[in-house]
Amino acid sequence: MQSTQGFPRSLAIFCKVVDNFGDIGICWRLARLLRHEHAIAVTLWVDDLRSFRRIWPAVDAGAEVQEVDGVQVRHWRGQDGGFDPAGVPDIVIEFFGVELPPGYVAAMARRDPPPVWINYEGLSAEAWVEGCHTLPSMHPRLKLTKHFFFPGFTAKTGGLLREAALLDQRDRFRADPAALDAFFAQLGLSAQEIAAAKAGLRVSLFCYPEAPIDGLFGAWEAGARPVTCLVPEGVAAERVAAFFGAPAVPGATATRGALTLRVIPFMAQTDYDRLLWACDLNFVRGEDSWVRAQWAGRPFVWHIYPQDENLHHVKLRAFLQMAAGSVESLIDFSLRWNGAAGTTTDERPDWPALWTALQADLPAIDARAAAWQASMLANGDLVSNLLRFARSLR
Amino acid sequence: MKPAKEIRVGNIIMVDEKPFIVLRSDVNGSSRTGFTYKWKMKNLLTNAPLENVFRGDDKFDVVVLDKKPVTYSYFADPLYVFMDEEYNQYEIEEENMGEAINYLKDGMECEAVFYDGKAISVELPITIARQVIYTEPAVKGNTSGNVLKEAKLENAIEAKQFTIQVPLFVNQDDTIEIDTRTAEYKRVVRN
Repeated sequence: MQSTQGFPRSLAIFCKVVDNFGDIGICWRLARLLRHEHAIAVTLWVDDLRSFRRIWPAVDAGAEVQEVDGVQVRHWRGQDGGFDPAGVPDIVIEFFGVELPPGYVAAMARRDPPPVWINYEGLSAEAWVEGCHTLPSMHPRLKLTKHFFFPGFTAKTGGLLREAALLDQRDRFRADPAALDAFFAQLGLSAQEIAAAKAGLRVSLFCYPEAPIDGLFGAWEAGARPVTCLVPEGVAAERVAAFFGAPAVPGATATRGALTLRVIPFMAQTDYDRLLWACDLNFVRGEDSWVRAQWAGRPFVWHIYPQDENLHHVKLRAFLQMAAGSVESLIDFSLRWNGAAGTTTDERPDWPALWTALQADLPAIDARAAAWQASMLANGDLVSNLLRFARSLR
Repeated sequence: MKPAKEIRVGNIIMVDEKPFIVLRSDVNGSSRTGFTYKWKMKNLLTNAPLENVFRGDDKFDVVVLDKKPVTYSYFADPLYVFMDEEYNQYEIEEENMGEAINYLKDGMECEAVFYDGKAISVELPITIARQVIYTEPAVKGNTSGNVLKEAKLENAIEAKQFTIQVPLFVNQDDTIEIDTRTAEYKRVVRN
């Protein structure tokens, strides 16, 4: 067996932005964690630098090669070209099963020893994930084997991405009222608005356009408790604009009934974390913000990425069954938010009733979130788990 | 070259220049990140079992082997014996039967697959009909949505009887069609 001392020193991640910001969001978080907490030289290949720039403004969308926060970022322009085996790192990660350039795979096969090749998969609470986690996948023609690596919620999966200092940073932020005020001011809220937001319920809203926002806004408007909803620019833009009767640009704000809606700038990953920490309830979507909401330890409602034949409903139910405990209001609300409940399509959700029930259970959901977070911590962090697995293959 | 999503249980594929028979295939995943195919395989040269997972678009050379129509004859523990129309008998090891074992029935027609002159597996039709030998009656009022129940199917060897999920309206003694690739119920056969 070869020594694993000093392994790995280098690593490459291949990321394709299919849509939205989840792909690059997760890859960038993974890249920074590997670089900063494990001192590994990371190269991130990305096909869409413009989307990358939205979540990390320091990125130059026109550069072929650049260094960003200690990570080498390369513009992945296509599948053509030859590669030198000497340029192949110790570990190669293909994200969500992206197809690596054939020339790169050939160079991997010529490298001695070949790299550890990881297929980093999507997060799911479904039971089958445990059975596929770390399984090999032999290359049909080359002397190469990649391994599937699944993030997950149990000890038989890879765990969740988490920075070592994340929870301390969160707790310090929450314990510092001045930091909270400064953050809201940074988002454009006036002192009066900040005071009003802190007196009522603070909600962040990040969802796909299909979310039943109108019903939720209606319930908030008619509710007794003031709600300040912060929605990043571009999120559900048409529906938010309809609420304002004007374009949903950063700074736009309006109050109707008990609801104050404000559009905030689209923000970098680190700021988004603070938004989740600063709010009493978070609506999140996809995978990256979903994981961050779990580490925020606040009540959240997940809007899952829609899939053909409603396959996402299976994934949603698996997660709720695992994470929501017996909080029926959260389960009902989440299923309705994702169009996954009801036996007939014309059955209209009663949003005021769903919201009333959810709001009444927020303390219980808060307590549940803390217990859930403790169980996630017990699984370790994904990057450490991944590196341990990679070393076991050497 | 065939993508993983088109490869069926019983197919022989070349991996690392070695022939493997696919004994079981479980498909999972999502349309967002792509489906994964978890295969239980066996190396035909060494008989070593192997469990691998592939993506639906991973491509493999499928070895086209000789096939011959046969019918199931009898079980001579641990071999399953099939017979062709010229009364030649072929013995297949239980571990090579794969999912076919679940649908075994006296006189069942299928195709024996040969490698290096030896019968190594059987391939089933995609759709077969089997009688339900036991299922719970439907509970009145419990008929909404996608509620399913278990149904035990007829099988030549009692110890190998297995169950699939069927809709509530399926009754004991009904004959149903099953997709053998996924072990999923398709429909009730009404005469």
